[in-house]
Amino acid sequence: MRVLVVMTGFLATLAALPLAAQDVRISETQAQSTFSVGARDFTISRNQDVDAALTGEFAKTSRPCPDFCIQPMITATGVRPIGELELLDFLETDVAGTTGLLIDARLPDWFAKGSIPAAVNVPFAALDPQNPYQNDILRALGAELRGDILDFENAQLLVIYDNGVWDAQATRAITNLIAAGYPAAKIQNYRGGLEDWVHLGLTTTLP
Amino acid sequence: MIRSVVGLFIFAVLLCGYIVLRPSDNGRPAAVETTEVTRAQTDSILGPVPDAIAPIEVVAAVQAPVRNTAPGLALTTDRSQMDETAANVLAGLGLNVERNQTAGDSDEMLEMTASVLSGIGAITGQTFNASGKPPAAESALELLVVQALKEGQNDAYINTLVNEAAKAGEISVPDILVTSEGDVDTAVLLNSIITQAQIAAGGAEPAVPNVTSGEGVEVRVVQRATEAEQYRFYTVNKGDSLGSIAVKFYGNVNKFGRIFEANRQILSSPNAIQVGQRLSIPNV
Repeated sequence: MRVLVVMTGFLATLAALPLAAQDVRISETQAQSTFSVGARDFTISRNQDVDAALTGEFAKTSRPCPDFCIQPMITATGVRPIGELELLDFLETDVAGTTGLLIDARLPDWFAKGSIPAAVNVPFAALDPQNPYQNDILRALGAELRGDILDFENAQLLVIYDNGVWDAQATRAITNLIAAGYPAAKIQNYRGGLEDWVHLGLTTTLP
Repeated sequence: MIRSVVGLFIFAVLLCGYIVLRPSDNGRPAAVETTEVTRAQTDSILGPVPDAIAPIEVVAAVQAPVRNTAPGLALTTDRSQMDETAANVLAGLGLNVERNQTAGDSDEMLEMTASVLSGIGAITGQTFNASGKPPAAESALELLVVQALKEGQNDAYINTLVNEAAKAGEISVPDILVTSEGDVDTAVLLNSIITQAQIAAGGAEPAVPNVTSGEGVEVRVVQRATEAEQYRFYTVNKGDSLGSIAVKFYGNVNKFGRIFEANRQILSSPNAIQVGQRLSIPNV
């Protein structure tokens, strides 16, 4: 009888252990997100400190507008807004499968302070029509030059983000991409941006 | 007696409360709404993030090259920059012109582009190189103008030549050269070529004229708390192009972008200007 009690206690402790190790999960079915792009492995999880709270840049509530104005949910016709779970799915399937890229549209000084793992920094300014090298970037994103015209048939699926809902950098990048001919159907916008990302305690990386 | 005194007191307290707590909007200067007209200014692409983004449907329609589908207009237009077009014409004439005032910006852009390309390469495992110089293939328009200038043709002849070729769909023209009548503003192109040749020869850049009167020009002064702000508007006349309006107000065709950005609400593309449109002219 005593043995049974000890066994039960032992089993209960075993069952509780993984929970204690991962109290803050991404979702009920997913503790963390792991994927590989080329030779690089990425792991995204959440901060396990249940008392953690934001301080600094992303804790601010009242940035002056202008310049920091609330952005629309739909930045352009055909561009879908997505959240964290869709973004993780995109990283695990499209980015890992080299059919998609996660684009950080912020200027390099922001990117240098921390970004979402596996993101590529393509500042909105680099996509401006006034950048004489804009085509080089579009081609790196998978567009093909046929004569004078860029063909976006095989261009990468993109998820674009910036600092958050008060930041227009992703909106500008999307506007510039669409003006350059990039199909809206190949673009999605992680509207919550880095602010929502860090607010959930998700992993960030430094370049 | 006491009741009425207490009643009056409560009324006074409520009134004070209302005055203190009423929406602060009432206290804003009346000029605030007027400033909305000239908000979006994105002439410097590295400048502060703009607060107003034009409706996206509009931007999506500005792909290059575009066949204009507006009734009565059938010109093929593109978004080529005037200074580039002028430089190519001059190069075609055997004059070597540095790609002028944007040289500094271009270096910065090249650097940013190179960093973007290496970032994308690090993820995709491919290698990309920036082309090293901006694409500079001579367009059909440039070849046509070079040929005519070599032959020593006059401006009127070149204007007719360019317009006929454009209407026949043989050449694509920069969209800022399309006038309110749907013609090609060759004068602005030729003017731009001369200006650039002068700068290349060591001349000064054209001064910014201070246009405050003339046909279609309207100036409004709004007195704000600390300063008086001047807003200019221009009503499009027959034969105007976005390029010619930029020359009129800024002395430089390449500054057309400021006018275009400030008027995105009514201009679907730079070639869509129409007689009678009232354009806001941002201050330099």
